[in-house]
Amino acid sequence: MSRSKEVSEDLRKTVIDAHQSRKGYKTICKDLGLHQSTVRQIVYKWRKFKTTVTLPRSGRPTKISPRTNRKIIKEVTKNPRVISKDLQATLALAIVSVHDYQKKTEEEDVYDSTTEPRAELYQPSVARIKTDTAMNAQKGGLVIFTANSNPSCMALAKRISERLGVVLGKVQVYQEANRETRVQIQESVRGKDVFIIQTVSKDVNTAIMEFLIMVYACKTSCARSIIGVIPYFPYSKQCKMRKRGSIVSKLVASMMCKAGLNHLITMDLHQKEIQGFFNIPVDNLRASPFLLQYIQEEVSVTKMFQQTFIKQAEAAHNTAQNRKHETADREDNDYLNCRLNNSGFRAQSFAERLRLGIAVIHGEAQDAESDLVDGRHSPPTVKNVGAIHPSLDIPFVIPKEKPPITVVGDVGGRIAIIVDDIIDDVDSFLAAADTLKERGAYKIYVMATHGILSCDAPRLIEESAINEVVVTNTIPHEIQKLQCPKIKTVDISMILSEAIRRIHNGESMSYLFRNIGVDD
Amino acid sequence: MPNIVIFSGSSHHDLSQKVADRLGLELGKVVTKKFSNQETCVEIGESVRGEDVYIVQSGCGEINDNLMELLIMINACKIASSYRVTAVIPCFPYARQDKKDKGTRVPNVPFLSQNVNHYELGNVYPSCRSEPKQPPALPWHESNWKAAVQEGKGRAPISAKLVANMLSVAGADHIITMDLHASQIQGFFDIAVDNLYAEPAVIQWIKENIPEWKNGIIVSPDAGGAKRVTSIADRLNVEFALIHKERKKANEVDRMVLVGDVKDRVAILVDDMADTCGTVCHAADKLLSAGATKVYAILTHGIFSGPAISRINNAAFEAVVVTNTIPQEEKMKQCPKIQVIDISMILAEAIRRTHNGESVSYLFSHVPL
Repeated sequence: MSRSKEVSEDLRKTVIDAHQSRKGYKTICKDLGLHQSTVRQIVYKWRKFKTTVTLPRSGRPTKISPRTNRKIIKEVTKNPRVISKDLQATLALAIVSVHDYQKKTEEEDVYDSTTEPRAELYQPSVARIKTDTAMNAQKGGLVIFTANSNPSCMALAKRISERLGVVLGKVQVYQEANRETRVQIQESVRGKDVFIIQTVSKDVNTAIMEFLIMVYACKTSCARSIIGVIPYFPYSKQCKMRKRGSIVSKLVASMMCKAGLNHLITMDLHQKEIQGFFNIPVDNLRASPFLLQYIQEEVSVTKMFQQTFIKQAEAAHNTAQNRKHETADREDNDYLNCRLNNSGFRAQSFAERLRLGIAVIHGEAQDAESDLVDGRHSPPTVKNVGAIHPSLDIPFVIPKEKPPITVVGDVGGRIAIIVDDIIDDVDSFLAAADTLKERGAYKIYVMATHGILSCDAPRLIEESAINEVVVTNTIPHEIQKLQCPKIKTVDISMILSEAIRRIHNGESMSYLFRNIGVDD
Repeated sequence: MPNIVIFSGSSHHDLSQKVADRLGLELGKVVTKKFSNQETCVEIGESVRGEDVYIVQSGCGEINDNLMELLIMINACKIASSYRVTAVIPCFPYARQDKKDKGTRVPNVPFLSQNVNHYELGNVYPSCRSEPKQPPALPWHESNWKAAVQEGKGRAPISAKLVANMLSVAGADHIITMDLHASQIQGFFDIAVDNLYAEPAVIQWIKENIPEWKNGIIVSPDAGGAKRVTSIADRLNVEFALIHKERKKANEVDRMVLVGDVKDRVAILVDDMADTCGTVCHAADKLLSAGATKVYAILTHGIFSGPAISRINNAAFEAVVVTNTIPQEEKMKQCPKIQVIDISMILAEAIRRTHNGESVSYLFSHVPL
């Protein structure tokens, strides 16, 4: 039952008078319209305290009035580090002693011990206020480092820091005379969120070592959390067990986790399964919105209907680098999808979002790789029948033969856009472009997220039938651009800076993934 | 019963071949190459299932590349079901970044052994740290690293611990190394580490190649190496001396003080590694000016980076002797004073004894044939 208004003092007096004139409780209740327990309580109190006046509550009376109390709270919230003398000066009205308002702030439960500076510990009068802001520069903040020693690799980090309005952290990363890497952090990272941006370019192993040493340095300097931003994740192509090789992505992932990394942001991982190699959270951002925007703006949508092409890049790509590849079965290539092929999904999602058609490029240059098979793959290929014991009834499997490059789909008179995630060794792209040109494509664009473009790729692209190669700035390629003007860059620092901001503030990242299909 | 299989990394193929020859084995087939994007690719060419694998790779040359290659090779053997993987790392990389110091090198208080009563003590000063200078305003470039190291406000990681973690994560079960810069690095590992000594080989070389060794004097170029030098001196039954230096800047020596008497004797400088050779060359000058007849320098790891070779050529050494933990053919062509001690037999013997489960402590005082 909720508390109703208290009985007025006159009424109480009347009750007592009636009681003194020897009236019964029931009579008083009926006369005055009160509950009988109220009457009883009034009489009891009168008997005990000999008065009907409302008595004050028990406890020591407060020295500070509520108004002064509110004023103190307001002053201290404005400036949590104010000293009592200053506070006294501003509150000229109330003359409070030191202990009073310390207790007041205690009562009001506005503690925050981390804002108290060490030097003032012995002054009993520093107000402690709980601060409520998310990005509090005093408590812990945001520091962005780049662990590259190469200045061209630091360009992306500079852009990201400009977008965030944060200055890049001071750190020295250099190679000593005996080629050992040395990292020295020049500012405090204690209790802060450290973001380490690492661009992997030519010297892959050195970049990995620089990053690991930097992470470990932050860990031993008590950073609150260490988040790595590695747009192009190295060794992502060596993610399967081949013959007696090593799964280097797993090794690199274990090393990063062991060095002390808490979170990883990367872009367009070659295989999404690499996320599973880590036991820390991995954010695999996508560059496709930027590439799509480039297509929509730059590639002129003429009256003619355009088509996008799937590149069976993995097959060609892998043989060029002498690896075992997994290829689709023959019958699947007649449809628009290559089931085992990464690029197939990517091109399909691009085509859906642009509302264009798809064609498939199938087959690769002939390459003698069958002698490197060691029987680890099923079905096993048999080199010579004599090795099998005649009594064993193992069926003889014919090794698959690859046809020369063909294009499935009509490309006549259309603009062809080849989509892939990494463009490194351009032989397969050149072969595909030649075939497309033969079949009648009038313009050929190549879109790739990571443009490694090693060896003499720029020269080959310049001489080929490709019109433009569009890559993002995850990997620095200024030199290649100078050699070949067909190479264009799309800036993706925006999404990386947005990801950094959201992770630091603890906000949701789903906005960055809103238009991404499940296959991209 | 597992067999020994020895694989060689690309850093020091020559040493691995010698080790394999001493054990009477062929080197294991392995293909190490780099893709066009400079990623390392390792493929083991023979079966290692159930075998005792030893991977010989030294921390020299392009250290980061060689280290990655070693890790990838260890990992490959591990997931190819080998019985045990041992990494033989004659020169351990990042061994000098083994403590959280701030960049300025603080000279140690000199270690005084019992013999020191015979020498003058008047020149021994307590170490004093020099004031850090302002930070350089130039962009961080390799040439600025010397200036940068002075500042002393860096938060440096313990890279040796990181390397130890990486080796464990890759799957190594055992490490064999030689003359670690600080033997505390053994404690960074959770797995077994064998720290072999080049000392017996050095002593044998001294006895064979320096004719007046009985009248010689072993000198340590800095106070930290005194322990090493005293043990050699005791073995050879000769005297020892010590050079104490104060450094104002890294790799630039300020003032050197000789503790001991080298007049009319053959001085033999002993140290564990020589990187830019600043210390060693200054020490040689000091010894010659103090009256030594000849100066030999014996170093376990001859890294010789930067201006080292020209400094040695200009200094007045009789010979600079290093072990072949780091390949030296190129340097020997540039500088005729460099001679090499072969330590492949120590490694081979260690591998054999580890494989058979025998004691390795014989190697700490004797050189196997």
